[in-house]
Amino acid sequence: MSIVLATISLLFMEMLVLLVILALLFPILAASKSLRRWSNSMKSLSVLLGFIIIFNTLLSTATNPFNYSVSLALRLVALMTSFSLFFLTVHPDELSQALIQMRVRFEFAFAMSMAMRYVPTLAQEAYAIMDAQKARGVELDKGSLLKRIRNIIPIIVPLIIVSIRRALSIAESMESRGFGASDTRTYMEKLAFRRKDWMVVVLSLIALLTSIYIRLYVPIPNLSLPF
Amino acid sequence: MIIIEDVHFSYDGLYTALRGVSLQIDDGESLAIMGTNGAGKTTLVKHFNGLLRPQSGRVILNGADTKDFSIAEIAREVGLVMQNPDHQLFLDTVEKEIVFGLKNLGFTEEEATERCSRTITSLGLEGLAQRSPFALSGGERKRVALASVLATEPRVVVLDEPTIGQDACQKQRLAEMLESLNERGRTVVVVTHDIEFVIEHLPRTVAMANGTIVADGQTNKVLSNDEILECCSLTPPQLTQAARSLHEEFPTFPERLTLLSEVESEVLRILGGENSVIP
Repeated sequence: MSIVLATISLLFMEMLVLLVILALLFPILAASKSLRRWSNSMKSLSVLLGFIIIFNTLLSTATNPFNYSVSLALRLVALMTSFSLFFLTVHPDELSQALIQMRVRFEFAFAMSMAMRYVPTLAQEAYAIMDAQKARGVELDKGSLLKRIRNIIPIIVPLIIVSIRRALSIAESMESRGFGASDTRTYMEKLAFRRKDWMVVVLSLIALLTSIYIRLYVPIPNLSLPF
Repeated sequence: MIIIEDVHFSYDGLYTALRGVSLQIDDGESLAIMGTNGAGKTTLVKHFNGLLRPQSGRVILNGADTKDFSIAEIAREVGLVMQNPDHQLFLDTVEKEIVFGLKNLGFTEEEATERCSRTITSLGLEGLAQRSPFALSGGERKRVALASVLATEPRVVVLDEPTIGQDACQKQRLAEMLESLNERGRTVVVVTHDIEFVIEHLPRTVAMANGTIVADGQTNKVLSNDEILECCSLTPPQLTQAARSLHEEFPTFPERLTLLSEVESEVLRILGGENSVIP
């Protein structure tokens, strides 16, 4: 469903529709008690949004640049919100379980849940690297913009190397513990599709089809800001 | 001189790593910090160069509170080598890697090259100078990381687990390098579990457990105390164990000995004097 909402927000440029989508998303977020985490991620996104609005207003060739850039920003918010709705509410294990039951090969599903599992580890690693470089006298928060950008190299190179090394050693340790030894796996939990789930699927499909129809054939009132 | 005054530190307010640590390290000392896993050793040494700031208490370096200085400023005085060498290597040759730290601290091109080649010789990295650090083995990478900080010869050298993955010969080289730094008046602090290394090369030991210092004093005293050893989950050094067995057989043999030279002379005494060495 969140994918459908995301697609819809990609289909439309008009502010009105985007606002409607956001209005739909908020109650769902509130129902899943993830509003706070969502607002946290939006805080970090706000810098980017600011950039989008400023640069597009200055550089865009649209007839109403400010209007255009605000709707671009709104679109990004809608997109991010629909995806974060998905990632905030679905546990990585459930996701890989669902993929497996959709006949995705176990290895791929496992890779996906591993990828999600290692995001926090990567962040920790980045902090450790920053510490190590600061101890060597790298001044990360001083100097001109150019210097600061150049200072990213001592952080990013070790981060990539460490990640590759870790990936290799995880693979080796998994294999030595018999990963992929038997072809048929058994699972502790099985996910089942209930009537509610089917309803969500049907509703989402209807919404998708309607919005495609609207996009193609119905003119939408252009809600523009009064300046 | 580093003075730590009643420092408390906790990560995220959840896990308390240091609960009131006080410590004084004089110029030109060389000491070991030992203790259980999670005792707070690494947290403590990160306070030495300002990577972590005390949540209460003070860290005073050469008479000035470290809270007034940036890490880069302190790095000139206190060089810290972290446990994982992969966290700091990023250039394509070992030589560049060592010169990088030197240039950061403002050494001239010539001086940097000079110091670099000197460090490479003393740590036995000669054959590796033009190799990429990433193609080296774990122990070799560790030595490159050590070299990159030791080359700067800071007034205080802090090494976190420097002997991991090093063979006996490399340990000896490292010890010699630390001793020569120490002779030139540099302070050396080593965090380690390597009890034999500590006994042979570091005269003072600070033992930590549970975020506090449980013992601080002469290495051979601290490490022959069973209570302290147990507290820090260390097994008594082999020489102490040997001394104990000998003590059971020969009551005149002192029970607590940790230094090779001490045990040697006692054994000689029991065997009947300095001159009766069996050929």
